[in-house]
Amino acid sequence: MNEAAKTYQKGEIPGVIAIKASVCKGCDACKRHCPTGAITGMFGSTHSIDVDVCLSCGQCLINCPFGAPYETSDTVDEVIAKLKGSNVTVVGIIAPAVRVAIGEDFGLPAGSLVTGKLYGSMKKAGFEIFDNNFTADLTIMEEGTEFITRARHAVFGEKDALGAEIGPLPQFTSCCPAWVRYVETKYPALIPNLSSAKSPQQMAGAVAKTYGTKVWGKPAENIYTVGIMPCTAKKLEASRPEFKSAYEYNKKNNRAEAIQYPDVDTVLTTRDLSRLFKKLKINLANEKETDGGTLLADYTGAGTIFGNTGGVMEAAVRTAYAVITGQELKPLEFKPVRGLKGVKSASVTIKDAKYNKDVTINLAVVHNISENIKPVIDEILAGRSPYHFIEVMNCPGGCINGGGQPINKSGSSWLGAIKPWFAWT
Amino acid sequence: MEKQSYQYTENPLHVTRREFITIGGIIVAFLALPAVWMYSLTSSNNNYIKARTKGLYLDDEKSAIRVSHANKSVARYYKEFGGAPLGHLSEELLHTKYINRTKMLS
Repeated sequence: MNEAAKTYQKGEIPGVIAIKASVCKGCDACKRHCPTGAITGMFGSTHSIDVDVCLSCGQCLINCPFGAPYETSDTVDEVIAKLKGSNVTVVGIIAPAVRVAIGEDFGLPAGSLVTGKLYGSMKKAGFEIFDNNFTADLTIMEEGTEFITRARHAVFGEKDALGAEIGPLPQFTSCCPAWVRYVETKYPALIPNLSSAKSPQQMAGAVAKTYGTKVWGKPAENIYTVGIMPCTAKKLEASRPEFKSAYEYNKKNNRAEAIQYPDVDTVLTTRDLSRLFKKLKINLANEKETDGGTLLADYTGAGTIFGNTGGVMEAAVRTAYAVITGQELKPLEFKPVRGLKGVKSASVTIKDAKYNKDVTINLAVVHNISENIKPVIDEILAGRSPYHFIEVMNCPGGCINGGGQPINKSGSSWLGAIKPWFAWT
Repeated sequence: MEKQSYQYTENPLHVTRREFITIGGIIVAFLALPAVWMYSLTSSNNNYIKARTKGLYLDDEKSAIRVSHANKSVARYYKEFGGAPLGHLSEELLHTKYINRTKMLS
């Protein structure tokens, strides 16, 4: 382990992102995209990353004009070996944002929705499908219920049915691993405000190795879970040592052998999956469209928009509205949380059917935290935040522009378009 | 008063008002070219983000069921296995605790 890596637990990947010194030109383009100022090195000299400050979000990687940052964890070959092994069920947990981006690696235009072809390619490669959108819906059930509990506790003094402690408002979403690490390393005072719900990826891992054993008829030891994520920070998240709850549960119920296993065995980014397909000679663009196969691939529209900034909030509003009022939200599109504005806020007044009283809930959606999170946090620390529920995603635009997505030349690394003219490249 | 004699003068450089505006316009257009080029480069920056965003909203619109609490498979999960949201098994499998990492620095 890296000598300097102090903010990591034993077993965690100490920083997923590193900078290749031989490629770095010291142009400082990455520093503009780093949410924590983890990149050190003067203009013109080779840059490096302070792993204790780094969130592993990968924004420097997708925005570097020269491609200097790289991922320290690459498990493509390991997954291919598992796919070829006979006794192992390899479960691919597909995040929402992957289906609108992976097509770009196979010559399709940006934003092409290729869910069916992605399922088809994965089945051809030997994966079982676990759509992470299923657990996104599960997240809404857990996190939404948690928010309603916190809100009713704050407004009506309601106590938890199981006598558990109820967290404070505002409640933060906890789906984004870079954001969770941001709070853990910079603002530990706000840890109680984070929703206790795991991220959809970790829920998927825990469900796949418990309930999934019935679905696939295999013991948990023979299920190998692969997160397929638009995100480099998910690699770090999966390596957190506390995420072995499926093992703990199976052990308690005498269904586990001596060897410990994590909930999510390994994580591939969207780019990694394209590489895997290309190594196995699968061309996603020409594959047949198939369906997911099991109930763990069923998802709703609310689950799929998780990949957009504002999507988690919109999905939560749809469900919370129905639970609190007893009626469905109409129309279902909740427009104030859509779009690329830095901090989006909205106010919803709804009648709590249980207490027959009007309640006003103030929501906020923050993305691109390198520019937008500071004032929101300052307000909360000063005790004058108007918000009750805040969605935070580290990357500009949400997961669809995550650090593990295909690198788009027209993106903020626009230098890519004119780079061939530079004499030194 | 002296009588003015005939003097020959060459035509001075004469620019009509229309010609002046035309020439000025051409110069401005040339100066603006690199600005337009830079603008078109940077303004298309976010196009791929917007395209992917649209893709996911399209997936939402195409879905027959668009609210999480109506996902039949999630309901089945809770009925066959998970119990209820925030129930005992949910706390065990679907919830977690966070770590104050600033303490690890000392």
